[in-house]
This record gives sequence, structure tokens and C-alpha cells, in this order.
Amino acid sequence: MRIACPYCGERSLDEFIYSGDATVRRPDASAPTASEDYVKYVYERTNPPGMHRELWYHAAGCHAWLVVSRDISTHAISSVELAKDVALANNQAMKESA
Amino acid sequence: MARTKEAPRRDPLQPQRLVDRGIVDHRRTIEFTFDGVTYKGHPGDTVASALLANGVMLAGRSFKYHRPRGILSAGSEEPSALLELRDGARREPNTKATTAELFDGLVAKSQNRWPSLDFDVMSINSLLSKVFVAGFYYKTFMWPAALWEKLYEPAIRRAAGLGRASDAADPDVYEKTTAHTDVLIIGGGPAGLMAALAAAQSGKRVILVDEQAALGGRAIDDGSIIDGRPAREWVRSVEAELASRPDVTILRRTTVFGTYDGGTYGALERVNDHVAVPQKHQPRQRLWRIVAKRAVLATGATERPIVFGDNDRPGVMLAGAVRTYINRFGVVPGDRVVVFANNDYAVSTVTDLINAGANVVAIVDSRPKPSEAISRIASSAGTKLLSGAVVTRALGKKRVTGALIRTQSGAEVRLFCDLIAVSGGWNPNIQLSTHVGGKPLWNDDLLCFLPGSLPPGMLLAGAVAGNFSLPKALGSGADAGATAVANGTKSVSIPVPKAAEDSVRIAPLWRVEDHSGKAFVDFQNDVTDTDVELAEREGFRAVEHLKRYTTLGMATDQGRTANVNALAIMADITGRTIPQTGMTLARPPYVPVAVGALAGHHRGKSFKPTRLPPSYKWAKEQGAVCVETGLWLRPSYFPRPGEKDWLDTVKREVNTVRNAVGICDVSTLGKVDVQGKDAAAFLERVYMNNLKSLAIGKARYGGMLREDGILFDDGTVARFAENQYFITTTTANAVRALQHMEYCAQWLWPELDVQIISATEQWAQYAVAGPKSRELLRKIVDPEFDISDAGFPYLQVGEITVCGGVKARLFRLSFSGERAYEIGVPARYGDALMRQLWEAGREFGACAYGTEALGVMRIEKGHISGPELNGTTTPRDVGLGGMVSKTKDFVGRTLGTRPGIVDPERPQLIGFRPVDRSVRLRSGAHFLAKGANPTAANDEGYMTSVAYSPSNGHWIGLGFLKHGPERVGEIVRAYDPVRGGDTLVEVVKPVFVDPEGARVRG
Amino acid sequence: MANMLKPTSAFSHLDPLSTPSLSVAPREDLTMASFAAGKDQVQAVMATIKSAYGVDLPRRPARVSGKGIAFVWAGPDQWLAVAERGANRDMERELKSLLSAMASVVDQSDGRVVVRVSGPLSRQVLAKGIPIDLHPRAFGANAAAITHASHIGVIMWQLEDASTFELAMFRSYADSFAHWLIETAEATLPATA
Ligand SMILES: [Zn+2]
Repeated sequence: MRIACPYCGERSLDEFIYSGDATVRRPDASAPTASEDYVKYVYERTNPPGMHRELWYHAAGCHAWLVVSRDISTHAISSVELAKDVALANNQAMKESA
Repeated sequence: MARTKEAPRRDPLQPQRLVDRGIVDHRRTIEFTFDGVTYKGHPGDTVASALLANGVMLAGRSFKYHRPRGILSAGSEEPSALLELRDGARREPNTKATTAELFDGLVAKSQNRWPSLDFDVMSINSLLSKVFVAGFYYKTFMWPAALWEKLYEPAIRRAAGLGRASDAADPDVYEKTTAHTDVLIIGGGPAGLMAALAAAQSGKRVILVDEQAALGGRAIDDGSIIDGRPAREWVRSVEAELASRPDVTILRRTTVFGTYDGGTYGALERVNDHVAVPQKHQPRQRLWRIVAKRAVLATGATERPIVFGDNDRPGVMLAGAVRTYINRFGVVPGDRVVVFANNDYAVSTVTDLINAGANVVAIVDSRPKPSEAISRIASSAGTKLLSGAVVTRALGKKRVTGALIRTQSGAEVRLFCDLIAVSGGWNPNIQLSTHVGGKPLWNDDLLCFLPGSLPPGMLLAGAVAGNFSLPKALGSGADAGATAVANGTKSVSIPVPKAAEDSVRIAPLWRVEDHSGKAFVDFQNDVTDTDVELAEREGFRAVEHLKRYTTLGMATDQGRTANVNALAIMADITGRTIPQTGMTLARPPYVPVAVGALAGHHRGKSFKPTRLPPSYKWAKEQGAVCVETGLWLRPSYFPRPGEKDWLDTVKREVNTVRNAVGICDVSTLGKVDVQGKDAAAFLERVYMNNLKSLAIGKARYGGMLREDGILFDDGTVARFAENQYFITTTTANAVRALQHMEYCAQWLWPELDVQIISATEQWAQYAVAGPKSRELLRKIVDPEFDISDAGFPYLQVGEITVCGGVKARLFRLSFSGERAYEIGVPARYGDALMRQLWEAGREFGACAYGTEALGVMRIEKGHISGPELNGTTTPRDVGLGGMVSKTKDFVGRTLGTRPGIVDPERPQLIGFRPVDRSVRLRSGAHFLAKGANPTAANDEGYMTSVAYSPSNGHWIGLGFLKHGPERVGEIVRAYDPVRGGDTLVEVVKPVFVDPEGARVRG
Repeated sequence: MANMLKPTSAFSHLDPLSTPSLSVAPREDLTMASFAAGKDQVQAVMATIKSAYGVDLPRRPARVSGKGIAFVWAGPDQWLAVAERGANRDMERELKSLLSAMASVVDQSDGRVVVRVSGPLSRQVLAKGIPIDLHPRAFGANAAAITHASHIGVIMWQLEDASTFELAMFRSYADSFAHWLIETAEATLPATA
């Protein structure tokens, strides 16, 4: 598999480390439901076939954390974004909705 | 095709060799031995073609039944002619005679025979074949299981036999490389060559890969005429054109063995398999990783045998192989030939045989109505044509002596012959299109599977796409090459050379009904048609089950001559169509790949890179014994003359540190520079303990958790400036800890202003530990820096200079429990600083110490390390529960308060000493209450770290024990069934030296 | 008091190789520092470097060179400054004085060691350990990449010269890297009689 790092370009799988689901966000530890929220955040995963948003780390390259949209049945990758940008956009969206 | 009237001339020294045919170098003769007999051949021969040239057809014995086997094919699909090549350390078993190139002095031996190929005792297996039927591994030796390793397997292995690998280390070197290309063309036959020509016009990068030493593929094998000239001349002109283009790479003797995601292909180049010994430094084989934007699959097709009685006898050969031996190698594999086919490929086979001077005894065509092409060749060659007839059995044992034929009317005819040329049709070599999940499609006209869905970027050309005739192959190659570089725009076509159209008509025949003798489907794994029937009867009808039950298709040839026949037979007996029956997808590798080639440079000491600490050279001069810790090679201890073992040495090193001073290279600890306006806030969220109060110029212990509340890593956090921190991690976790911090900075809290830069290797860092450490350092640290206890107390850090102005960092930290410092200098000065410390330390009786003494001293002090940070323990488990902040959020905080994590029943860190002080403790032992039975329910914890404590004069241990801290003074059982240990130990506080902790402060 | 410590090479057995087709030599004479722009400071950092050295820092993997100094992209908003040490040049000190408020500057002069590989065979040799595309059209003058070579992490760049590369790796890997490089060079150089 090859992943196109937004900085480094297309690189082979062995330069990256997979690190799980990119759709979960670290919950607010001060919320009254924090205990359950964290159990969900850390442990609860479904694994449907098809498109996933995944966190990858360009370990042997630029050390950027990436959000990769990948069809886990075909390994076809439809987008690679910088995790930092995704996280900042999430923060912004949360702020706006609040 | 023109026919010569007179028989072509033969070589008197190689009875089956035509002196003016093929592309071998007839002018040079080389010698080789097979089973001790010397034969002659030519450069350009394979071992198979040279054996055949000498009239040798018997090549080996089969895997299970030890049946005599000959040469079935002329390529990498060969299931039968597997030899042991070379000798000594280069001896290599199971090598295909059909692909191994001949070289002068080559030593070849047959396999699976004892005592000789001619007379093989084990062929008795044939008589025991009831025992060896499909599923015999599963059924026959089920019980008693205890006998499997001792009796069954060795017996079966000896009887069934495999080649012998050399016991010696492989003397050759292997190489790996990566290539990137716009177009990869797999196969250098007519289609592949046209694709390469067309793609090369664009000026883009093209890699053309071909399995053989010479390009041309079936155009050479079939002796085709292209643009009015012999194929070899056309191939030569194409090669010259390709070679003139700087961005075209041709890899000969190279097999693409796997398709991987992202347009990545694995290929094996046999750089020096065709010579006896590679030149100095030259690799034997080279593994290519090829990354291609587009790939043209031009892998051709493999001919199918027909399943009939004793169809494995030496002398039963694929018709295409017969043609290859004639046209490529100038070898006539037999003189009296029966051609048996279900398709029109028989036509050119007969032509070639007759042109080569062989006598075609009969054409046995299973089709009741002869095709026009067949009728024409039969009459022009004056050969008997038996339409609607089948060969039911090959006669002869070690060589075909005849064929038993059932005619259309059912009559049995016996014909004498020494070769049966068989064609059951052609299977496109679609394997590489299925490696990443492409599904093949059955084609009812061509009676074969064609590639269905293709991997992204892959195109097809030639026979692999069902273009079996030469003009179609050439044309489809030109199209594919042009399309591959077209990039969505209109492709530029190139002129397609002319060639004659061949008939490829075919009618189904997979297996001859009512045959006698064994009829083989998979030759290499000795699977017969009755094995397939048995599998069906026992319910293994799904093709995946059939394969596993019978082992069909699971040998090194990947069942390339077997799979479709087996499938068709299964379809037949279950009354289904072939597509209904299914198709197994191929997996890489398409051909066997030596582990040496996969490893390349990375074997032995180079298996993985080694990291050397700054004082490594000095340590080796001191006689240090080193140990691998991760990739690092660290001094473990520094033996001195007169010390009888490592323990002696370690005792001395520990005593020296505790009483004087010792020096240890701790550069391997991970070091990370953390800066930014939010550096403090960031570290607060990464570490479990409070760091807000850490003053500039101070260091503090820091523990990191995983989000699930489990301890992840620990080290120190030092603050050099308002917004500048310097943290250390454990050696083992250095890379992961950096990754984790980058995760936190980029993903969890991207809004923070923090910059993280690894500085592990910038600093050579030495621990200087012991009561005399300050006195020693005073001789190193430049005089303007105050390192008195008042000026530089415990946990102080500072930027200083040493040895006359070299910038340095000093940390007053202690892992040993003694007064201790860590001093860091830029790594290039590391070697020199160690030598200076060593010289300066002489008057204090200083020693160097390694990881062993380091470990002993930390256990004596109850400091946790790898065995306690084992991925299952919490801060509370290791006695650091009180350090965990309750006033801030940090990674691991919330889940660290889960009931299971804070359960008071969780074993907690505590110390141990043996009741009988002379007893040695073992880590890994489990704790049981005194008198309790050793059951899992009674398990109360386990020992993690043990050491002989020179300070105490006996073994000590750390471990986790339920309610440990409340049980000090209690005697428990340390039970170690694996190593037969069962010792009573006393629970003690986990600190064995200076319990008040006074020494660290001076 | 004079400096009593003599620097030591990290390469204990890399004999410089010099043939018409391939040369390999360690570069022991460099001073290097990495610097990472603080939050919202990228433009300021770039402007400062521009005015001090006259070069535009690359935002993507690439190298730029100014008078006596080169900058190599070393990660998002992060660069490695490389210069010859000469008499007493100290890149960390130099950049800290320029960038103190806007970037974190970390000395890498010792943390990383640099090997220069040059000559017509350099690409072919490097391709045997480096997985990225080194074709001149893909990796030309002043190209840079962070990747791995023979399983060892490297920052590599090409000089203006078409076949001269420099590879920086963590110091402790120097010997392992040299071992791979020399073995690979021997296998790639034309076999000697
Ligand atoms: Zn990257």
C-alpha cells in the first residue's frame, strides 16, 4: 500500500504506523459522563467493511500525523489530510456549534 | 511454414541436438554432470534442454509415490523435473530443470530416490498408495498424537522425500533495490515487446521484465515468422531500439512474483544463478520492489496437460514445450511422437516435429469432427489422424514406450512411441492480476479463465487476455503500451508487424474417462483424479476445501498445470459449470523466492542496524561485554582479570559505585527538547504528575500513562528556561514516546504552541555516581561553575562548560541511590570526555559500569524499569499512586480511575528476599500464600526483577503482590514451575539500600 | 583553559571511497541546527531567514542554499540549517540569536552525521536502500526528502550538482549505515578483474 503524505508525497506503507480510528475525539474529562465517554473513546469500535477514517503517523518521514480515508476492503485511499488541520477544523466547528 | 525434405543434421555427441536450430550458442560446448554422468550442452541451454539433447528424459522421482518423472514443460510451471543443483554450500534442492540455465561444470542430481534414480526402494509407496490418498495427513496419523513428531512425520518425510538443502551457510550475497517507473511491462514475449516499444515512444520511464535469459517468449518458442523474418531477428531489432532509449530498463532473468497495493510489484532477478560462482561482491540474486504508475501484464499462457492414465510417465510432454525445445534450444525431445490434443495447437506442433526430423506416429484429436487445420496438416504430413480418439494410458515406466488409444468407435489401439505431446489448451497466466483480489472470469470459447477485475493501473496484452494468436498478441501489445502512457489523452499507435494467423479452436477435454493407471492432476504434489473424486465424496467440494484436502496446487509450482483441470473434474462430477465450481485466487509469490533474497544485506550481524553509544569504542578497549538493548549495543559489564564470572564483575562495579564512584554511558535514554509558549501546559497534559511547580534549573521524575490508565513510560523532566524543557524517556520507549508526544501535539491539542524536537543523539551523557562523584566532576567541570551541594543540589540542572570550554549540561539525578550526576556533552566529544573522566577518576578508584550493575542498583533502590513498566501496570501498582495529579486532566486520567485500575486487589510493587539467604531468586516466579496450592485462583502476583545484591550479600527481588505493602514481614511462596523453582521469600519494603534516601543528597 | 576534548568521528570504519563512478565521504565539518517555527510564527521565521540569508525557506521537502549556508526542510514548519563549521561557526547560537522569540532552535551538529555520496553510480547505489524515487526528474537539484536508507532514518538532499547527495542520520547509526553503503557500493561498482 502507498500513502500520499501531504508533505512528502507518495510513500510506501513501511514508512507509516497505523494508529486507529480518526473519527473519535478525546472527550471532556470534566463532563459528568466522562467515565463512559472514555470507555467508548478508547475501546468501542465497529469494524464495518468499506470506507474508514484512520490515523496514520509518517514515522519514517516527516513525523506528521495523518487522517487517511481508506476503503479497508480494497485499500483504495480517497484522501489524506494532516491530522493537525482536521483537529483544528473540528475544534473550530465545536466552537461554532457551542 | 516451409518444410525441409531431408532430416536436419544432428550433433553426434548430443543425440537429440539439431546443429542448426535454436538460439543456443552452438559454437561453444560446455560440460555438466547429472547423477555423476558427464554430458555436453551449449550456453543458452537450460538443464532440461541439455538433458533432453542427450536423450535423458528421466529426471527424478515424485514427491509422494516416488514415481519416475520426466520433463513436462519448458518453463517455470514445471512440476516434475525438480533437481538438486550444485554442491557444497551452494547445494540447492527442488530447482526446476526447465528454468535453471546451464553453465560449465554444473553438478545436477535427481531427488527423492534411494539408492538410485533407476532403482528406488521407496517406489513401494506406489503400492501403498491407498495410505497416501488425499487427506492422509489428517486421517491416518490422527492417533496417538504423541507419536506424530517422533514417528509419523520423520517416516513420512523420509519416504515422501524432499530435496536436501545445504547445511552450510549460504556463501552468496543478495541485494534489494527499488525502482519507480511510469510503465512496468511484465513479460518480454511478442505482446510485451510491442507494449514496450509503444510505451517507449513517449519518452516515459519503462521497465520491461522477462523471466528468461533471452527475450521473445513464445515467438522464439514457436519459431514464429514476424514481418517476414525469423522471430529472433525481429526480437533483436526491438531490443536494439529499446536499448537506445535512456529511460527504458530491460530486466532479463527476472520474474515478477507478486502484485501489491499501490502499483507495487515484487520481482526477483537471478543475477548470477547462471554462473558457478558470482564474481567478488556481486549478488547472486536481486530483489526488486517496482513501483509503477501503470503495468502491462503480458505474461502469456501456460499449456494444460490432459488427465489420462499414467500421464506422468517420462516422455509425456506438453506440446508447447516440445516446440520450445525444438525452436529455442534445437533439441528434439523424441523421435516417434504421438500428438494428443483437444485443440488446433496440435497443427504447428506436428509441423515443427516433422521439420525437426521426428516421426509423428499419430495425431490423437479428442474432437469427433476434425478441424480444417488439423485435417490439412495430417494429410500434408502423411500422418495418421485419429479424430474423436483419446490416449487412455501412457505405456512404459521410466520412459514412454507407447500410447494406448481408444478410438472414436471405442476400439483400443496401441501405438509405439517415445514421446506423447499433449495439449489440453492454454491457461492465461493471470496470477498477477488476482494477487490483490481481482476476480478471474471464465471464457467458454477459449475454455480458460481470463483476468476479470484488474488492480488499479494494470492493463493486459497478449495471451494473458486470451489473444492466443500471434497477430492478436502483437496488436494488443501495441495498444496496451500506447494506452499505458496515454494518460487519458489519445494514445499514439505504432505500426504492428505482420504475422500469420493461427487457428486456436478448442473443444473441452479435461480428463479421459475410464482410463487405467494413475491419472495425475497435480504432478508435483502427486494428486490424482481419484483424489479429487474422493474429496468430492467426503464433502470437500468447495474449491478452497478441495485444495486443502488434497494439497492440490499447493506445491512450489502453485498448481499452474493442475488447478484448472482439477476444477473442471470437480465441476464434471458435481454436475456444475466451471464458474459455478469456483476458482482459487493466487497469492504471491508466483515463483519460489529465496529467503536470502528477501533479506538482502540484512542478515547475520546486519539483520537490523546497530546503534553504538558514544563511549562504545572506549568500552571495547576496556574489554566491556556488550548487550543488545533494542538496537543499541550497550556495555553490560566490564570484566577485569581475575574475576571468575559476570557476577564477580558486577559485584565489584556495584561496590565501587556505592563506596567510591562509577561512570556509566546513559546516552541511549531518549531525549526530547520541548519548547514553546505552551510547553508547560503541554507537558502537564502528557505527564501524570504535577510539573507546573517545576522551577527553572530543576528536574523532576515524570510518568506517562496511556489513555487507558496503564503506565507507558517514565523519565525526567528538566526545565532549562521559561518555555524550554528537556525530557528523557526510557531507552526502550524513546521512539514511541516521541511519537506519542507528537500525537498529543498534532492531534489532541493542535491549538497549543509547542515544538518537539528529538535530541537523543546530540548529547553523549554519562552518569557519574557514587560518594566521590562530585570530587571527580570537579576535575572536569570548568572552575567557574559551582557544583557544591549548596550551589548544585539534588535535582538541579544547568548549562555549564567542561574541560576548558566545551559546552555541557549537568543534571543532578540518581538512579543508583548514591550522590550522582549526569553530564552531557555534544556527542562528538563523548569519546574524549569518557577518557577524561576515566583518567580523572583514577585517584578516586573509579570504575566503569554497565547495564548489569545499573540494574542491580536500581533494584536495590526499588526503582521501576522495563519489567515493571510492562504494559499491564498502573501508577498505583508500582507504588507511584500518590504522585498522580488529581487536579488536572492528562492522558490516562479518566480511565486511570476505573474500578479495575484502582482495584485494591491488584498486586502492588514490593520487595522480596529469600528466607534461606543462599537461595537464588528468579523473575517470573508467581507468589502463593504459604501452604496454598499452586492454582491460578491462588495466584497472588509475580516477581518482576531480581538481582544479587552485593550491598546485602544475597539475592533480592521486586515484584507485584496482592496487598503487598500491607504484608511486609510475611513469608510467601515464590513458585516457578517452568524452571522448577519453589522458594520461600520474605516480603520486605522495596528498598534495600539507604532506606532514608540520604545519600543522594550528599 | 584550552579545550582538552578532541572530537571523534562517528564513523569508525568508513574509509572514504573515491572512484570515477562513485565517491563516498563523511562530512565531519558541519554545524547544524534544527528549528521549528512557533505557533503562527512561520511567516516571521521565513522573513527573518530571508533577510539574514537571502533565501526563502521551503514549505515542502526541498533544500535552499544561500551564501555558506543551506536549509533543508525537516518536517512541517521545521528546517535543518547546515553550514561548514570553519573556525568556530555555531549554527545553534547563530539561529537562536536571530529567531529567539519565534522558533525553537536545537543543536544537531552532533546528533546527526552526514555522508556525501556522489558520482554517476550514486543513484543506483542509493536506490538499493532508499525506497523513494531518485530519478533525476523526481529528485533533482536541491531536492530533499525524509525517508529511510537500509532501515535507518535519513534526511537526504541533493546538491546543485546532478549526482551528489548528502544523507544525514542519527549519529549512533553511522557505522551500520557505512557498512551497508560500502557493501552496496562494492556490489554496484564494476567488478574488478
Ligand atoms: Zn510525510
